[in-house]
Amino acid sequence: MVDAVVEPILEVSGLVKHYPLTQGILIKKVIGAVKAVDGVDFTLNKGETLGIVGESGCGKSTVAKMLVNLERPTAGLIKYKGEDITRLGGRALKAVRRNIQMVFQDPYTSLNPRMTVGDIIGEPYEIHPEAAPKGDRRRRVQELLDVVGLNPEYINRYPHQFSGGQRQRIGIARGLALRPEVIVADEPVSALDVSVQAQVINLLDRLQNDFDLSYVFIAHDLSIVRHISDRVGVMYLGRIVEIGKDEEIYDHPTHPYTQALLSAVPVPDPEARERRERIILSGDVPSPTNIPSGCRFRTRCWKAQERCALEVPLLAVPAVFRLVPGPAAHDSACHFAEEKQVVPPEEPTDDLGNGGA
Amino acid sequence: MLLEVRDLHVEFRTRDGVAKAVNGVSYAVDAGETLAVLGESGSGKSVTAQAVMGILDMPPGRIGGGEILFRGRDLLKLKEEERRKIRGAEMAMIFQDALSALNPVLSVGDQLAEMFVVHRGMSKKDARAKAVELMDRVRIPGAAQRVRDYPHQFSGGMRQRIMIAMALALEPALIIADEPTTALDVTVQAQVMDLLAELQREYHMGLILITHDLGVVADVADRIAVMYAGRIVESAPVHDIYKAPAHPYTRGLLDSIPRLDQKGQELYAIKGLPPNLMNIPPGCAFNPRCPMAQDVCRTDEPPLYEVDRHRGSACHFWRECLNG
Repeated sequence: MVDAVVEPILEVSGLVKHYPLTQGILIKKVIGAVKAVDGVDFTLNKGETLGIVGESGCGKSTVAKMLVNLERPTAGLIKYKGEDITRLGGRALKAVRRNIQMVFQDPYTSLNPRMTVGDIIGEPYEIHPEAAPKGDRRRRVQELLDVVGLNPEYINRYPHQFSGGQRQRIGIARGLALRPEVIVADEPVSALDVSVQAQVINLLDRLQNDFDLSYVFIAHDLSIVRHISDRVGVMYLGRIVEIGKDEEIYDHPTHPYTQALLSAVPVPDPEARERRERIILSGDVPSPTNIPSGCRFRTRCWKAQERCALEVPLLAVPAVFRLVPGPAAHDSACHFAEEKQVVPPEEPTDDLGNGGA
Repeated sequence: MLLEVRDLHVEFRTRDGVAKAVNGVSYAVDAGETLAVLGESGSGKSVTAQAVMGILDMPPGRIGGGEILFRGRDLLKLKEEERRKIRGAEMAMIFQDALSALNPVLSVGDQLAEMFVVHRGMSKKDARAKAVELMDRVRIPGAAQRVRDYPHQFSGGMRQRIMIAMALALEPALIIADEPTTALDVTVQAQVMDLLAELQREYHMGLILITHDLGVVADVADRIAVMYAGRIVESAPVHDIYKAPAHPYTRGLLDSIPRLDQKGQELYAIKGLPPNLMNIPPGCAFNPRCPMAQDVCRTDEPPLYEVDRHRGSACHFWRECLNG
C-alpha cells in the first residue's frame, strides 16, 4: 500500500443494473425491476486498494461483475484510463479485459475440476495468445505457481488435490497470468479458515507491491477490508452511502448505517467489547424490488425524520462538515450526518512476530 | 454437571483409510453455562456435537470409545428409542443453515406444532397456538399471520429465529448451536446472538456454541474449548484466553485475525495447513506448524496440562507460551 501518484485507473459514474421482473409466459410483461445496483460512483487510483463493504444483497458483487464485463450495466459509465468500456465490443473489449481480472469467492466452484492446474492458470493465454508465445507458457505457469507460493511441480495436479487456501492461490495465479493492472477480488478469503485467511491476505498484499496492482476488494468483513484497503466504500441497497479513506470511515464515520455496521462487528477481545457502544439495527434489509423513497436506509434508521422519506440524500461531504476540514469531512449520503466514534481508539500494541506465509 | 463428555473417540471409515475425527475429547457444560467450542474446519467440533446429539451417520462414522454423560446417564449405552425421547425434549440443536434444516414443503407453523403433537401429545389446535406463542418469543413480527408461511418466505435472520424457536419448543436443558450465525450478515448476526443469549439466561439452559469465529465467542461464552485435529488443545474461561493464550495454536488464531481497531502491517499467519485426519503427525498434532516446536513435540503427545484450576493446555511448553 503505497501513496501513489493520484491517477485514476477506473472511474465509475452513475452505474446502474436493473434486472427486469416479468409476468406471463407467452406475452411477457415487465412488472418491475430488481434494482441490484442503483447509481454507484467511485474512482480507483493507480496502485490503490478500494474496499467495498456491505451486507448480502447490497449489490457489491454485481458491481464487481460489471467491472470485469460479466454483466452489462443498465446505465452509467465505467472508464478505464479515461475510456468508457461499457460500450466496447470485439477486439477493443478484449484488449481492456486483459487488464482487468477477477478473483472469485469460492475456490471450490471457480476452478474446473477436469482441468489440471497448469491448464487452469494457462487458459488466459489461449484467449490472449499475444500475452505469451506458445513454447513459453509452461514456464510462465510454473513461475506463477511459485509467485503465489505453490510448488511449481504441482502443475499437472487437479484442483481436488489442493486445500481451500491453496485453491484460492491457484485462482489468484490465474488472475495474474495476463499481468493485469486491476484485480477485482470478490470476497476472496471469506470461504477460508482463519489461519489460512491471513496467508492469502498477506499474499495479496505482497503481489500488489511486486506487480504494481490496483485492487477493488469486495467483502462483508469490515476488519479484513480495513486491513487491506486505502479507501473504503460502504454499500447499502445498491448505493454507496459513505466513502472515504480508511481512517475516515473507521474512526470518523458519519453515516448511521456505517456506524451500525461497525458497532456490530464482533471483536475478539471481551474487554475492548465492553468499552464499545453497540447499535443493533431493527429489521432486515428491504427488498431491492421495492426500495424505500428518499433515503433507502430510513426504514432501519434511528435518526429518520420526515425529510428522509421525501428527499434522496446525495453522496457528498455533508454541509455541517464542509467548512471544517478534517477526517469527518468525507462523502456521506445522510441528511443528518453526525460524527460518532464507534470503534474505540487504537491502543499501542506490541509488534507481532512474523510466522511466514 | 448437565453434560460431561469423557475421552470421546470418533472415526470415519472411508475407502482411503480411517479418518480419526475426534481423538479423546472431554468437556463439560453446566446448566446456565455457555461453552464455546472453537476450531477450524476438520477440527472435529461438529462431529463431537453430532455424537452428543446422536445424529452421527453410522456407518461410515463409528464411536471408538468414551462416555457421554447427560444428567449422569451414559447416552452411548441407551437404545435408539430412548435417545430419541431425549433428543428434542431434553437436548436440541440449532444448525448453521436454516434453509436446508427446515422442511421446505411444510409451513413453519406446522413444523413447530409437530414438536408438541409428537412429544407432548397435544391436539393440533393447541399445538398451533403454541407455535404462534413461540414465534412471538423469538420476536418474529406478526407471528399469528406468518405461522402459515413457508421457510423460503422468511429472510435468513428470521429463519434462524425459527430454528431457535424449534430448539426451544420443549424447553430442553441443553442446546447445541452449530455455527448459528455464520450464514448471516453482521447486523443480523448481532440480533440473533443477542436473542439466543437472552433466552439461554431466561431458561437457564446449558449452551454449547460451536464456531470458528473468535469474535462471536468473546461476546457470549463463559468458557472456551479450542479444538485442533480432533483434540482439545486449550480449555479456559473466556477472559483468560484472550488475555494470554496458553497454547501456540490459540495464540496463532488470535494473532491472525485482522482487527477493526488496528491497521496492522503484515498479518501474522500460521504457516502450513491443518493435518490430514488419516495421517495425523506423531507427537503433538500441531508440531509441524508450531513456531515453538522442539524435539519432544515430535515424539510425545502432550496431555492436557493443568495451567490453573480452571484452565488446561495441551502444550509441553504452555508456560513459555503463557509468558509470550
